[in-house]
Amino acid sequence: MDDTQRRIDAAPLPVARELRRRRNLILQFLRFVRLNWTMYRLARHHH
Amino acid sequence: MSRVVILGAGVSGHTAALFLKRRLGRDHEIVVVSPNSQWNWIPSNIWVGVGKMSPDRVVFPLAPIYRRKKIDFRQARAVALRPEGDADNPQGAVDVVYTDPKRVGRTERIRYDYLINATGPKLNFAATPGLGPDAGNTVSVCTPSHAVDAAEHLAAVIDKLKAGEPQTLVIGVGHGTCTCEGAAFEYAFNVEHELRAAGVRDRAEVIYLTNEHELGDFGVGGMTFSQAGRRITSEAWMESLFRERKMKAITQAAVTEIEPGLIHYRQIDGSANTQRFDFAMLLPPFRGVGLEVFDRGGAEITDTVFAPNGFIRVDANYQAKPFEEWTAADWPKTYQNPSYRNVFGIGIAFAPPHAISRPYATPDGIAIAPAPPRTGMPSGSMGKVVAMTIADMILRGAAEPTHTASMGEMAAACIASTGTGMRSGTAAAMSMSPIVPDYSRYPDTSGRDPKETTGNIGLAAHWVKRMLHTMFIYKAKAYPLWYLIPE
Repeated sequence: MDDTQRRIDAAPLPVARELRRRRNLILQFLRFVRLNWTMYRLARHHH
Repeated sequence: MSRVVILGAGVSGHTAALFLKRRLGRDHEIVVVSPNSQWNWIPSNIWVGVGKMSPDRVVFPLAPIYRRKKIDFRQARAVALRPEGDADNPQGAVDVVYTDPKRVGRTERIRYDYLINATGPKLNFAATPGLGPDAGNTVSVCTPSHAVDAAEHLAAVIDKLKAGEPQTLVIGVGHGTCTCEGAAFEYAFNVEHELRAAGVRDRAEVIYLTNEHELGDFGVGGMTFSQAGRRITSEAWMESLFRERKMKAITQAAVTEIEPGLIHYRQIDGSANTQRFDFAMLLPPFRGVGLEVFDRGGAEITDTVFAPNGFIRVDANYQAKPFEEWTAADWPKTYQNPSYRNVFGIGIAFAPPHAISRPYATPDGIAIAPAPPRTGMPSGSMGKVVAMTIADMILRGAAEPTHTASMGEMAAACIASTGTGMRSGTAAAMSMSPIVPDYSRYPDTSGRDPKETTGNIGLAAHWVKRMLHTMFIYKAKAYPLWYLIPE
């Protein structure tokens, strides 16, 4: 049997600060811009 | 005048058709043959499957687009290739059977100067007894109609949960050799998200059932990336996400049979197990669409053009060798068929040289080996480079392919939705370079460029996924400046 469920049960949970960051609209907007730039760069330079 | 025939109008075939028309103009003829009348943005089918998007928002009719772009569209199914022509004419040809209501059942032999095989896969539900919507035990999100059916089943499950009846939902892949684990992962998390939104999460057990050796493999051997200044594997990343969302997971599994309410599966250690379910969405394995190939004399030569799995052979290294000897260089660059140089295979239709993830099997030989994904970003790039190569062959007389797009060199970004909503949505954004690990180039970082291999979870990634939906449908509709949107 795989031990995946045991590993999930022992996995670290995100700290409260990280959960807040994932919802913070300003931080997420900045991340949105960065993700778009990353994807654009990947598409232009690696394709 | 040259005629280019494209079989299939999915991401790769449609991209190739639009770029070919743009390069070749009115002096040459582009013919697209597809059994479907509509184009489908498949990555958004998961949202149709949870009832958060109507099916008409993930499809549009192809005929008006091709009419506007002066591309000849035949709604038909290709059934046979004749790359050497026939007794009457040495020019290559493809036999088609029309599927549009006006000509349904009629056959035609279409001649070509260049052929692009972009048929995509056959959804091989039959590989697992009892799998799929036709058998009636499990649902799928592979097509818009499948996704609508899945949403209806899910709504019924939510009603039962609201009535206080506990439910077990199993989401994953329905065979040991499936691909597209990412789509199953997305659907599992979107279902979990909807159960929470409906206020019934505490009465539901959600189980992700996969052929991946570990979580986060996604058929690409997993990833290692930096997060908050430390190196983390996609496996550890996903385990944390599964715990956060109270999801269960079964890995290293080959589903062997589905009965009503019961999944039979085998695992790598040989154990035979069952999993009860009230709702199951299990993706099917893929195989080629079953085109036959004939030489000029009418003798069948399918095996010289297609691999045993039904996908077309291209310029890959198909020599059988152990996992330790696989290299990124084995992967095709030009997508040109080695036997017939005017025939190309792109998207899911090309035969990969081998898997990307390490393959496993049960002691008695049942394969537990995720097939390599070749959809989305790389699929569009293949369509574009083959279009550019054919255009150069026609316009400049190029003897050899002039453009390349190897998955051993290409990067890819994958946005895996884990719940929809402009304020409440989340997604996991992953990028990797290259798609196929290159251990000779990046020996210390799992075969990938650490600067270009990243992972992020949050609302921003959901916005990106939603934006890509709008952007790629705009591009596929060939609206003004469509070609500026990267693949």
